[in-house]
Amino acid sequence: MRISKQAVASLVVALSVGSAAAAVIAADAFHDRHMAMEAVGDAMKPLAAIAKKQAPFDAAVVKTNATTIADNLKKASTLFPAGSGGGDSLAKPEVWSDPAGFEKRMKDAHAAAVALQAVSDEAAYGPALGALGGNCKGCHDKYRLPKK
Amino acid sequence: MRRRTLAAIAFVLAVAAVAFWGLTRPDPLPAAAIPTHEADVRNGETLYHAGSCVACHKAPEGAPGADRGLPAGGTPFPTPIGVFYPQNLTPDAATGIGRWSEVDFVNAMRLGISPWGTHYFPAFPYASYRSMTMADLLDLRAWLMSLPAVKSPQREAEVPMVALARRGVGLWKRVAFRQPTFSPEPGRTPSWTRGAYLANAPGHCVECHTPKDWLMVADESRHMAGGPHPGGEGKVPSLRGLLTRKKYKDVDDLVLALQNGETFGYEGLSSGGMAAIQENLARLPESDVRAISEYLLSLR
Repeated sequence: MRISKQAVASLVVALSVGSAAAAVIAADAFHDRHMAMEAVGDAMKPLAAIAKKQAPFDAAVVKTNATTIADNLKKASTLFPAGSGGGDSLAKPEVWSDPAGFEKRMKDAHAAAVALQAVSDEAAYGPALGALGGNCKGCHDKYRLPKK
Repeated sequence: MRRRTLAAIAFVLAVAAVAFWGLTRPDPLPAAAIPTHEADVRNGETLYHAGSCVACHKAPEGAPGADRGLPAGGTPFPTPIGVFYPQNLTPDAATGIGRWSEVDFVNAMRLGISPWGTHYFPAFPYASYRSMTMADLLDLRAWLMSLPAVKSPQREAEVPMVALARRGVGLWKRVAFRQPTFSPEPGRTPSWTRGAYLANAPGHCVECHTPKDWLMVADESRHMAGGPHPGGEGKVPSLRGLLTRKKYKDVDDLVLALQNGETFGYEGLSSGGMAAIQENLARLPESDVRAISEYLLSLR
């Protein structure tokens, strides 16, 4: 069988465009999920301040920040395509070797953030924030590398 | 001629084997080294949490004792040289420490020598525990003996040439035990001294937070300066300069972090195995958490 030079060349081009595109998608996913997680971390700050009694309980503040957390967790959970680990990413290989476990953690965290949105009295606040924090911790324990 | 060469080689090997055997011989304390002591079980419980014993000695999920958080052992502990299965620390007579005498327990904790006279691999951090006071060791034993007994048989480590490697740990101890044990620094407050003791002796923070030299001995010139994660999970953060690097605002801030972890948004305390450590530290009396925080924030 004769393979034309053109066919080889177009195959090479197609493959390199394909892998470059995959790399770009992975890099974008890493960047976008990093920004989403940073937004979650920033929204945790005013919530933690209430728990630490450094700020008064305010249902509106709780709702706004819990909504930011829920939205960004939902966004982040779609931003872990295969091949987007390594490099500067702190995601552990377990994110991709145990996708069901990771997905469940993300879902549980999202559900806890949604539940927190509706908290209107101070007595329910501590446990609701604790449930969210516990989910963040459980996931970071298993699926994230230590920060430097 | 050739026979002479062979004889010479055999002689050298024999001398080396005898030297290895002699240099690696475990040298446990005798029973007479244990003073009379009235055990304080509550203090033992505090030390148990300060050392996060259950973090490594927990039972695998679904195993007996796992649901009650008892230190029944057996959860695989992976390291670069192989997998270890931590000892059952409940007082079961057949598989736990139920038949261990006081001196057996002290030899294990201080010298890394098992009741059956072999070396423990230093994955069990006795290089830190050997700085614990005799009274604290006996209190810790009393606390463990007060726990419900769980049957959980010991499993040998999965390490290449395990018997020889185990014996060879004797050579490692000759180097590692040359480092001085914990002693209070003059001019420090009682709280700082308490924190330094808790962090360095039972707390064994250095096992991960101080980098190791080529002999796998903690490099004290880089005390708590961070380094590669011993379980291969990226990097362990430095505990020096936590204030100047703006990781924590003040002692109160670190106290809240150690007591609450990610529940209060301290997301740096969840990864690399620190989640379990934080949960155990949260069970300490607040004065002890404060003492540890004062000590850690003083590291420049």
